[in-house]
Parts: sequence; C-alpha cells; structure tokens
Amino acid sequence: MRMLGWAYMAAIFIFIFLPVVVLVLFSFQESRLPVPPFDGPTLKWYTQVIADRNLMEALRNSLFVALISAAIALLLGFFAAQGLSRVKLPGSVLMRGVLIAPMTVSYLIIALGLLTVFNNMGFRPSLWTTGIGHVVINLPLCFAILFAAMGDHQKNAERAARDLGASEIQIMFLVTAPMLKPALLAAYFLAVTFSWDEFIIAFLLTRFDVTLPVEIWSMLRSGLSPATNAIGSLVFLVSIAILIILEFTVFRKPKS
Amino acid sequence: MTADVSLKSIHQMFGSFQALDDINLEFGAGEFVVLLGPSGCGKSTLLFILGGFLTPTSGEVLIGGANMLQVAPKDRPTTTMFQDYALFPHMSLRDNVAFGLRMRGQNKGQRNIRADEMLDLVGLLDKAHHKPHELSGGQRQRVALARALAVDPEVLLLDEPLGALDLKLRRQMQEELKAIQRKVGTTFVHVTHDQEEAMAIADRIVVMNHGKVEDAGPPEDVYLRPKTLFSANFMGDLNTIPAGLANKGSEADRIICARPENIGHKGEINLGNAVLESSSFFGTYHRCHFRISGKGGQEYVAHLPVDDLPKLGEEVQLFASNAVALEHSS
Amino acid sequence: MSIEQQEKRRALGFVAPALLWTCAFFLVPFAVMVLLSLAHLEGREIIQSYDLGNYLKIFTEPSLFKGIVVSLEITLIVTIISVLLAWPLAWIIATQVPEKYQRLAIMLAVLPFWTSYVVRSYSWALVLGQQGVLMQMLMGIGFLDEPIQIMATRGATVIGFVHFFVMLLTLTIYSNLIQLSPNYARAAADLGASGWNTFRLVILPLTLPGIMTGAFLTFVLCIGDYITPQILGGNNELTMPQLIMLQLGRRGDFPMASALSVILMLLVTLAYAATARWLKMERV
Repeated sequence: MRMLGWAYMAAIFIFIFLPVVVLVLFSFQESRLPVPPFDGPTLKWYTQVIADRNLMEALRNSLFVALISAAIALLLGFFAAQGLSRVKLPGSVLMRGVLIAPMTVSYLIIALGLLTVFNNMGFRPSLWTTGIGHVVINLPLCFAILFAAMGDHQKNAERAARDLGASEIQIMFLVTAPMLKPALLAAYFLAVTFSWDEFIIAFLLTRFDVTLPVEIWSMLRSGLSPATNAIGSLVFLVSIAILIILEFTVFRKPKS
Repeated sequence: MTADVSLKSIHQMFGSFQALDDINLEFGAGEFVVLLGPSGCGKSTLLFILGGFLTPTSGEVLIGGANMLQVAPKDRPTTTMFQDYALFPHMSLRDNVAFGLRMRGQNKGQRNIRADEMLDLVGLLDKAHHKPHELSGGQRQRVALARALAVDPEVLLLDEPLGALDLKLRRQMQEELKAIQRKVGTTFVHVTHDQEEAMAIADRIVVMNHGKVEDAGPPEDVYLRPKTLFSANFMGDLNTIPAGLANKGSEADRIICARPENIGHKGEINLGNAVLESSSFFGTYHRCHFRISGKGGQEYVAHLPVDDLPKLGEEVQLFASNAVALEHSS
Repeated sequence: MSIEQQEKRRALGFVAPALLWTCAFFLVPFAVMVLLSLAHLEGREIIQSYDLGNYLKIFTEPSLFKGIVVSLEITLIVTIISVLLAWPLAWIIATQVPEKYQRLAIMLAVLPFWTSYVVRSYSWALVLGQQGVLMQMLMGIGFLDEPIQIMATRGATVIGFVHFFVMLLTLTIYSNLIQLSPNYARAAADLGASGWNTFRLVILPLTLPGIMTGAFLTFVLCIGDYITPQILGGNNELTMPQLIMLQLGRRGDFPMASALSVILMLLVTLAYAATARWLKMERV
C-alpha cells in the first residue's frame, strides 16, 4: 500500500515535470529543431534571445506593467479591506461581492469588455490600458488576501493605538501595515506574477509596445525553435530564483 | 460492559526523546481513573497506547486479561473521546452517535433506537437532527460521549474532554461525567492537567511527570499523603518546613511539608512567632501570608477560617499539623 | 455626528477607490458588452437593434453551437480527470510524506506553475508532437511502430489542461486535508470503520469543500482559456474562447463576440450555482 503510494506520487511528478524538463533540455539543442535526438549542449540560443531587442524590450514592458499594476491593485485592495473589515456598513456584503466578482470571470471577457469601452472612448491600446486590465484582475486577489488577514487582534491593536493617541495615518503605517507584512508581501508577489504572465488581456489591449507573453506568442507563429525554449527557460529560472529567495527570507516561518 | 486494564513496563521513545519510562499500572473494572500531569508528561501518549493509535516501543497492554498490542483500534474493546471531539461535521447528531453501530453492520432501525437512547442519556434527544456546528461546546462534548459509549466499550478513554469548556461548565460536566460513569459502569480512563477536576471525579488518580508515574491512589491519599514532592506540589499549595523543627524522618534528604489549611494556631509542630503580612478573602477561608519574625524569616501560606483572622502586622504563634516527609523527586 | 457615523464615513472613503475602479473598468464594460451583444454588424458598421439575433444565431448555426458543446465537454473531462489524479496525490503528501518534507513536496508539485502559461502549452507541443519526446520514447520501447497523431486533437488540449489543473487541485485539496484534525480518521477507525469506510464516509465528505473550490476554479479557468486549445488543440474543433477570438480577428464582429462572452459568463454562473454550497467564497 505504502509502495503503491510512492509509485503513484512518482508517476504524477514525472507527468508534472516532463514538459519543464523537455523545455529546459532542448533549450541547449544545437540544431534548429527542439526535438530528439538531443545534440547539444550549446548556449547559442540564449545568446540569441538576450541579443534580441524586441524580446528584451517586451521583457522590460512586462516588468513595468507588472510592478506598477500590482502596486495599484495592492493599494486599492489594502484600503478596501481596511474599510470593510473595521465597521459593518450597510451593503458591505454587496460591496465585497462586487470587489470579488472579477475573480470569477474569464480574463478573455474582462479584456473584451475593456477593449469595447476603450474603442468607444477612442483610447488607443497601450501598456497603460493593459495595466488597467491587470489591476482589475489583481484587485480582487489582493483584497481577498488582505481581508482574510485582518482579524480581531488586528482591530484590537488598531484600537489600542488610537487609544494611545496615534492618528489614522500613523496607525496605518506603524501598526496595520507592519502587522500585515506577510500578507502584503504575498499579495504583491502574487499580483506581480499574475500580471507578468498574463496573455489574453495584454494581447487584446496592446498594439506596438507588447509584453513578454505576447512577444513569445508571436515567436510561436514561426514554429518550434530552441530560441523559444531558451526564453521560456530563462523566465522559469528567474521565477524560481525569486521564489527561493522569498522562501528563505520573507516567508520563512520563525522557528519556535 | 467493563474490564480491567493492566499496563506492564511500557516504554515509549520518540526518536531520542523518552516519552514514557517504565509504566506499570493496574486499573480495576469499573474504576474511574484520572491520569494527571503537566503538558508533555506523557499522559496523552499513554492514552493513545491504550486506544491502539500508538504501539509502544516496549511493554504490554492487557484489557480484560487479553493482550492488545497486535489489536487495531477498531477491534479493541476501547473507544476514545478526543480532545477536539472529532464529531463528523457533515452528519447529524443521530448519525454521529450511530456511526459505530453502522460500522458493526447494525441496520438503520436498530442503530437509531440505540443512538436515541444514548442521546437521551446525555440529554440531547431533542437535537438528534441537528448538525454538530449548531451546538455549544458543552453539548458537543456530550455528543462525543454518547458516540463513544454507543458501541458499549469495556474501557472509555477520554483525552482532556473538558479542556475547551469554561470553568463553570467544566465543573458541571465533571459531575455529569461521574454520574454517567456510575450508570454505565464502564472503566473510564480520563486525562487532564487540572488537579481539581481530577479530585472531583476520580476513584483513582495517577500523577505523571516526565514520562514516569510519580504517585497513584485514591484522591485523598494523593492529596494528603503524596509520595513525592512533585506530586504534592502538583496537587496543591505547599509549605516547606525547615528540617530542624520537626522530628519526622531523620534522614537529611527528606523535606517536611504542610498544606496551607494545616497551618494555624494549633498543631504538633511549632513554627515560631510570625507576622501577618497580607491576606485575601476566598469566601470560605482567608488566604494569609505570614513571615517568621527576625532576620530572613521564612514565609508561610495559611488558610485561616473567616472568623479567626489576626490584624495585619499582628504577631501570632504559628503551628503546623498533618505534615508529611517527602523525598526529592527522582 | 456620532463617532460611529464618522467611522462609517471613513470606512466608506477607504472602500470607495477600489469600488470605483471595479465599477469603471469591470461592471461598466461588462454592461456595455451585454448591450453590444444585442446589436449586429452591417458591413463594418455596428448597428444597435436591441434584439436577440446573435443568440439565435449561436443556437441555430452548428459551427457556433458546437463551440459551446466542445467547451463544456473538454471542461468537464478536464475537471473530472484532474480531481481524480490530484486527490490521491494531495492525500499522499498530507499523510504519507513526513511533515518536515511536506512543504517541499507541495512546492515541487506546483513548481511548473512558475513557467509562463504560454510557454507551458508550447512545452507540451514539444512533448506530444510527431517527432516529440513521447513518440520517440514509445517507439524506442517498441510500444508503437509509428507515431500517432496527438497534437492538434482534443487529447492534446486535455493533457495540457490536466497538467495545469492537477497542480492547482493538489494545492486546494492538500490545504483542505491538512486542516482536518487527524482525530477524525482516528475516531472513525476507533468506532470500527474499515479503511475504505473511513475514506468514503468521513474523509471524502470532509474534503468536499477543497475539491469543489478547486473544481470550480478549474471550470472557470478552463472554459475561458484561449491559449491551451489554440496551441495544442489546433483548429479542428473550436472552443468558445477560440470562436470569440475568431469573431474579433477575422471580421471585427464585436456584437457576436460579446454574445458568445455572455453565454460563457452564464455557463460559469451555472457552475457557481452548482458548487456554491461547498464554496467558501462568501466568507472572503
């Protein structure tokens, strides 16, 4: 029974890792097709993608959109969670519902709606319109994480600070934010990741300046190439590196 | 149903940590036994070994004379009432209580009659259709008891069942628990860290510390004639009396102790003159702090009757009675 | 003004920016889209006619209606397979793996999340292609004589989706499982339940919230995804998102794309209604 369990786990892990291993392995392929037999290793595809100006431009755009849209989503989500968690407002259930709603809607529909409205208003598709869309999808996420993190002890600490004479701004920066630091970091990190990797909104709402997923998409049109493997592997390795750094610094649980 | 329990030289290691060290105990059939000790003393580990959730590193467990070590929890004549009750949240109270009988293949009609009987026993028959989350803490505790008793175990194991309740409810449930045990006659083995609870319900208290049995016996014995200093301290407040004053137990490695209620105006040991430094009122007695006159004088805590209180700062002569001589804890 | 009223006004001030953003960039666009779905295209001109012409067309024209059927079939197959694969994995990690390695095991199980979504589908195209690793391996061990076609079929789409959602569901079911007190299983065993009965009557019902949350997420993400069916499934059978993109791209038929989106939205709402009693979203 126990052996069966381990065998099952191994099988699923192989399934989960198979495409990643293939992706990374054939990024070192010598010939022009990333299929067996493997004839590398070579780093030439990496040099090629790093020298590719369009790709690097798209990478910078993605980073720009991700960092800024996530920051806006975090800020809006934080204030909303703060407002809804401290007093019972009439209609607060409805307000929570409205704030959460975009989470249950396909990105494609959100993108289509925004595209329609922006077309009508004469807004040109750009990184800014993409950023607006990314705030829409990340706001519910940030709100939900922060709202869940604001418990009674949070409220009591704020009350104590108010009782001791702190102003609302001081409470927010000296009590609330530090207490919520893990949740804030987690929310921001997730929002950056989601925006960074988002395709369909960026695809429909950008035209000349594109983000990385859109640029990779257009690379796919020219068929399979180790260059695509190389850029895919690079993004993966950087994400893993950031994840490991975060795991060992901010998300490390204090040892009891 | 009921059965006696016998534990023979039980040892339990968790890695290099010795959780239980040579436990030997005999419980009579129908006894209400309380395992008492601070957290981490091994009392819950011992209960899990009895229930079959843990196989001891070495030793023997006999229930009703039969060796239990190779017997799975479901085939043992024991049931456990868990600390968090582990009521199945998706089942009604009746289905929860009937669960064990369902597993024994009883048909729905039969097992529901029995479940209703058990719910009636704990006073919750009118809530048979409710789900556990609709109940208060005390009510959940009763359902857990009914569920564990429904399969008619010979030994019922209770893992800090009253720990989550507030003080008043806890005292009330203690009485109910004791009454139900008398009624069904099952051997109860009950784990707690609350010595008042232990004294209120136990036929026999087993005091444990660091994986060892410190003391075992009826509540009166454990309280008035404790075997070790640890046991004496755990059961209540204690005054240490300098060895020179008493002529009990001449050995130097013994400590003479007396409970606060045994310090007062009379007694066989003269403690000398002492000044009353503070006192507080506890309804049935005054709790008083005395200090022996003179430099570096020793402190004593005494429980004095409410009508017999010296003034603050007044000097009186203090005596101790019923003192016991104890070895240092091993 | 009382202190309570002041507090409420301040709280409302805090919520307002987020609400305004969501209204302006989500609710309003959605309403506009619903209105647009009632219009139609004449030449390249959008004429608002307030009729259900697009919806009628979707349900009468086989090429469009088939999109709904295909999307629902794929989504249901993917959801069921993913749950069946993920539950045992989550259970093994939660109960068989030593506690100090569980976090590592879970992080490994979701590691490919951190590849880009587009790249992940592309990687499956590498694996499943005629010359890809899988075919070479199957032919190498003599299981196949010549490659079979997986790419550009529904099978490829399902494999790509299942890969993603097994990771997601393992996460939701695992976090549900570790919140369960081990005493539930102990209590069931103690009262005489066999391993199978403990699973069937106690553990499985208790993990339903985790399963349903994951299944709902799977449904929403799967039925609305354009990338995976486009890269792996090809153009033999089109899903709803592919149809929507086709309307936008080829003819600029925004009204029809909107109507398809509204139907997609309704399907998600139905899925929500079906699973709502297990979801814990109202607590958020």
